[in-house]
Amino acid sequence: MEDYKFLFKVVLVGNAGVGKTCLVRRFTQGLFPPGQGATIGVDFMIKTVEVDGEKVKLQIWDTAGQERFRSITQSYYRSAHALILVYDISCQPTFDCLPDWLREIEEYANNKVLRILVGNKTDREDREIPRHIGEDFAQRHGMYFLETSAKEAENVERLFMEIAVELMEQAKCKELPKYDGSLGPINGKTTSGECLAEIEFLSNFYQIRLGTPPHTFQI
Amino acid sequence: MDDDLPTDFQVIVVGTGMVESIVAAACSRIGKNVLHLDSSDHYGGLWASYNFDGLQKFIKEVNSDPKRQLQVYNLAEKWYIEKESAQDEKKEEGEEKPEDAKPEPGKKVWSQANFAAEYRKFNIDMTPKLLFSRGPLVELLISSNIARYAEFRCVTRVLTWLSDRLMPVPCSRADVFATEAVGIVEKRQLMKMLTSIVGYNEEEMNNEFKDWNDKTFKEYLAHKGLTPNLIHYVLYAIAGGTNSMPCLEGVKECKKFLMSLGRYGNTPFLWPMYGSGELPQCFCRLCAVFGGVYCLNRPIDKVQTKTVDEGRTVVTIDSKSKTLNCDHLVIGINECPKDLISPEPAESSDISKAVFITNGSIMKSDKEPLTLLRFPPLNDGDHSVTVLEVGPATGSCPKGLFVVYFITNKVKDAESDLMGIAEKIFDMSGGDQTEETDKPKCLWSFFYNVKDTSAPVSSVVDSVHVCSGPDAGLDFDRAVEQAEQIFKKICPGEEFLPRAPDPEEIVFEDDVTHGPEFTREHDDDDAPKE
Repeated sequence: MEDYKFLFKVVLVGNAGVGKTCLVRRFTQGLFPPGQGATIGVDFMIKTVEVDGEKVKLQIWDTAGQERFRSITQSYYRSAHALILVYDISCQPTFDCLPDWLREIEEYANNKVLRILVGNKTDREDREIPRHIGEDFAQRHGMYFLETSAKEAENVERLFMEIAVELMEQAKCKELPKYDGSLGPINGKTTSGECLAEIEFLSNFYQIRLGTPPHTFQI
Repeated sequence: MDDDLPTDFQVIVVGTGMVESIVAAACSRIGKNVLHLDSSDHYGGLWASYNFDGLQKFIKEVNSDPKRQLQVYNLAEKWYIEKESAQDEKKEEGEEKPEDAKPEPGKKVWSQANFAAEYRKFNIDMTPKLLFSRGPLVELLISSNIARYAEFRCVTRVLTWLSDRLMPVPCSRADVFATEAVGIVEKRQLMKMLTSIVGYNEEEMNNEFKDWNDKTFKEYLAHKGLTPNLIHYVLYAIAGGTNSMPCLEGVKECKKFLMSLGRYGNTPFLWPMYGSGELPQCFCRLCAVFGGVYCLNRPIDKVQTKTVDEGRTVVTIDSKSKTLNCDHLVIGINECPKDLISPEPAESSDISKAVFITNGSIMKSDKEPLTLLRFPPLNDGDHSVTVLEVGPATGSCPKGLFVVYFITNKVKDAESDLMGIAEKIFDMSGGDQTEETDKPKCLWSFFYNVKDTSAPVSSVVDSVHVCSGPDAGLDFDRAVEQAEQIFKKICPGEEFLPRAPDPEEIVFEDDVTHGPEFTREHDDDDAPKE
């Protein structure tokens, strides 16, 4: 069994070309991919970080290009713990689309999901969205806000670390998004004697693992 | 935004139903350049799940579009509860409710307004289906690694209707021995019979079954000396059959049931979290991960074929202002121009379906149940009815409610075919929801008929592949089988959905303009890889 105590699913959304993949790769691999290659074969990336001496595994999901024609599957949003909505500070249209993205998020994501608005590409000279405009938008919609540059590695680490810290905080207070009426263990503590039948399994994304509970399993 | 849609693909898939989505994923997975379109704004077509709002829209759209009524018809929606509940009004006025008027905990009084307010918590399936734990779809999800996109729950119990009441069906060996409904002698008979069924092998055609080719399963069971109760369990509940079910079909169905026992839970079945409509999307996600281009809201107008140099056939599709070209077109039967279909599909019996939302389970249980009930035919000549009851833990509805699906072959129309059974297991009278009754109150019902488009259909052009619509069966097996056949025609000799790599296995090259490469670990998931 892998050595981590918490597993969180983080998903990114936002218009094509705002730098979602770059943010993920900067954080998970420490590099900035040159050129705008499509994201073929990559489903999600994993990075284990340490918060308060505890290992936290972040599973970071990219849109797989389905955002290009606004055709993201609803199932992409299911059971996400945190949702990063990204726009490009040098591209007004990517900011103007935020309300559309929010509508989609509200429709499909868990309403307790941690939401972060990210203005990416602060390295660009041709800024179109002033910082305070982004901040205002985030505040009005109850989101955290951060400006980043995947290229200059600015605030990228901080973005994901803050997510990890916040989610762990929530997990400890048991406020983690969970399915209503869920019978699965939310923090690894099992209501003992449960038979296999009641447990959802497969990608137990929302479950924080403390070892492997005997009745959760993946097909 | 649609304008930058590329126009040339090896494979274009139209429709995001189950079969189409599996084919799209399989083609993309082995490197084909795939475009996947759907004319509507959501995934799944007739296989979709809707939230309550989406379902209302669907009903409205179909009722106002005669063309869509060729696929879905006789839609009848009915409420059994008030528009606004008295509770809500009182709350608005800020009045304190008197203590004694408080409903029992868990017996909330639902109004239509409550449903509307919680619309997002509903996921109502147009094609609810189960997965056999060792069936082809589960095996495919595992072998392809697509399982990581979905979550499942086990069906917790199988029920039947016997002697005018609901009875649990003993599924496993442990169940059989624990049940009080079956006597000791019967238990041994049953176990012996089930063991011989598990030994059934189509190719070798064991001695046990060789003389039963032209007889019914019921005759076989009677011949084995099973008591009427046992015959009922095996024939109706386990094999899902009727009195006229041929013996070997019954044996096959039983074997499928028995072979899927013991893998994940007490019953052989799994139910996808948030409904069956999630599954096509999982395949679409894989297709996209391997480079498939996705575009919803993209209706197509005209499909033509033209022969280019060296006799190669290209399929052209007009969509909005564009002409799209491909070597192979995979298209859902409901989207497919009629002149491409050959021959006209034979008249088949359509499907009668219903959805009910109730305020309790059809049979009380300590923990939230997930139930399969196969209702035997009420009269001779009727069909059996598949009943699936799912609760809030499956992401299908808000707490305190259950969603119940009925599926059967059509005789007259959905309402006449199914109302009789609904009345047996629900209280359809409306009225006081807090009242303690044996049967749960039906709060809302929706009956509809679906054209059965599940028979395989071929096209007049070799490079056009037509995908069937949903069938009335319990599982997805036919869809998986058909998708594989279509894939083999498009990509002969290629592997059908080989395992997708885990993220840890992906090796990025420094130059990402080609996209990352990956190496595949062979049969060894635990190999360390940095």
